Amino acid sequence: MKFFIPFLLLIVATTDINQTIYNFKLKNLDNRTVSYQDLKGENLTIIDFWATWCKPCLQSIPKLVKMSHEFEDRGVQFIGVSVDGPRNLNKVRPFAKSVGIDYPVLLDTDNSVMGRVGVRAVPSLLIVNSNDEIVYFHEGYAPGEDKIIREEILNHLNPS
Amino acid sequence: MKTVMIICAGVILVIKPKVAFGQLSGSNTFEFQYGNLPYEENRDLTTSYDQLNIYYDYNNFSLYGRAEHFLSPYRERNYFQLTQKRAQYQDDHFNIRLGNFYETIGRGLLLRSYEIPGSVFEEDFYRTRYAFNQDVEGISAEFNHDFFDLQLVRGRPLFNPLPPNFEPDSLRRQALFEAVETNIFLSGDYSIGGAYMRVYENGARDFQEYGSLMFNGNLPLNFQLISEYAFNTETNLFNFGDNESYAFYTGLNYFYDTFGASLEYKNYNDFTLGSGFNNPPSLIKEHTYPVLNRSTHVLSTENETGIQIEAFYTFEDGHSLTANYTTAKNEVSRRFDYSEYFLEGSYKVNEFLTIKSFLDYANDEIKGQENRISTGVITEKLFDYTWSLTVDVQYQQFDSGFNENHPENYYASISINYIPDLTVSAIFEASTDPNLTDDPRTFDIEKDTRTWFGGNILYKINRTHTVEVFGGKRRGGPACTSGICYERLDFEGFELRVSSRF
Repeated sequence: MKFFIPFLLLIVATTDINQTIYNFKLKNLDNRTVSYQDLKGENLTIIDFWATWCKPCLQSIPKLVKMSHEFEDRGVQFIGVSVDGPRNLNKVRPFAKSVGIDYPVLLDTDNSVMGRVGVRAVPSLLIVNSNDEIVYFHEGYAPGEDKIIREEILNHLNPS
Repeated sequence: MKTVMIICAGVILVIKPKVAFGQLSGSNTFEFQYGNLPYEENRDLTTSYDQLNIYYDYNNFSLYGRAEHFLSPYRERNYFQLTQKRAQYQDDHFNIRLGNFYETIGRGLLLRSYEIPGSVFEEDFYRTRYAFNQDVEGISAEFNHDFFDLQLVRGRPLFNPLPPNFEPDSLRRQALFEAVETNIFLSGDYSIGGAYMRVYENGARDFQEYGSLMFNGNLPLNFQLISEYAFNTETNLFNFGDNESYAFYTGLNYFYDTFGASLEYKNYNDFTLGSGFNNPPSLIKEHTYPVLNRSTHVLSTENETGIQIEAFYTFEDGHSLTANYTTAKNEVSRRFDYSEYFLEGSYKVNEFLTIKSFLDYANDEIKGQENRISTGVITEKLFDYTWSLTVDVQYQQFDSGFNENHPENYYASISINYIPDLTVSAIFEASTDPNLTDDPRTFDIEKDTRTWFGGNILYKINRTHTVEVFGGKRRGGPACTSGICYERLDFEGFELRVSSRF
């Protein structure tokens, strides 16, 4: 009986429905506050949570940069969200440039957006459709998983 | 209480998919453990922890609540509480929050609150588990304009070493602060800012006053300069003497093509606010390699100066190189020095094989560790885009002022990832460090090598649900994530974690 309540809460939380992204506001690399609505793509928005200390991010980001160029004419906007705290903030801009990021980078210094959308690890990638629904969520990154992400983008650009 | 909770859960279950005029969403983390700390008597202890976060959004308004529940055979450790609640209004210019929220002023010299999402914290003394965060309970109003930002905050920061069921609850939020911060955008590239803060401690009518001056500028030739100087208003401005209370941080960064560099300087003295709710940049390299993550230097805002230099370069064919030099000096009764040299390379042999390695040399007088050498090699092999194999081997050795021998730490893991849903891994660790080999239950000092071996399975059921199972022995120790350092406890037994978003 004593584990009934946690299990009940677990059941409550285990129905699969579309989650909507909220209009979060964060500072960019120029210290300006911008919102998700300011940046979102016409068809899809790809939001990638990363950090300068994250090793798999070093592998995933160049693949995403490549994809951002491939899909730039198809209404797909990429947004990078760095979850680095004040400890690493000075490294975010040179790191982003070093790995080739040329899409907007926002700073989630206190991890509040990360927690709000249910991201628990970096890298994590969200695909959001034009109705602001999170239609795909990819946690972590291992070599080869960029192919799956690319297929998901194509699937949601051309729903059958 | 249970009845109320069941009713709440029932209501959520019924209305969950779409509330009439809004959107309901949330996340849940459930963790069950069978086992205990290594030297505890009760070997078959069963505990469970659940954290439920629910958000209700309607146009510009949102409501949020977090419930946490811990159960064990020990009644005094158990609790069920609504640990966070918040009402929020947000539009293009305003963001107003009432309740529990996270906020950072400037670079964290005056205030930094945070959450490590998904982390579950357990303290050695209270032996109860709870979410690891340091939120603020109060009110915050923010206004954004093209030419300036303005923010007003009044609240009580959480003292997170005390668990949610600690009595009296008021001790968890003793300090009260009021702050105002503004940033003025002089052009697209330059901004200046200032902050003022009052801190009331222990309900006292008297307060301490602090100020902060900030600068952020994109300089020519791809340089960027960030500076902040925070001070107690009773101190002599720009006087960096031993009797003054201040924190000064400046960072310069640069990029050219795929080369990036960062240079930072810190000078903090007598600048711990309240129970430590400020968190200036520590300027210590944040490592994810286990042997290095545990060895981190923890910042002291009572007295610390130092620099950090880091450079990284990404080669055209995907290889990368990172070099870091860090030094810190603490004057606490006497001088303690810390220095670290770190070099890391990643070599992409081809599309299917990547080899990473690192070499680190450090001296840490506070920990009594000299000539600390750490190294490791990580190999990742992808097979036919369907599965990958990762082998990670790390080693560390240092001279200890307390021990004639050279304590050693070993780490090895092998991980198989069936793309994209299943990861199976095994982790082996060993140590000859007397602080770890000694059994605290005996008077003798045991020196036999201590080992840990555990297995982990992570399965993503679908895009919203993940199951993680651990079995065996897990090594604890200091851990740092997102710049926040805390102590993780050892564990021996079985653990199940189910994470959900909805």
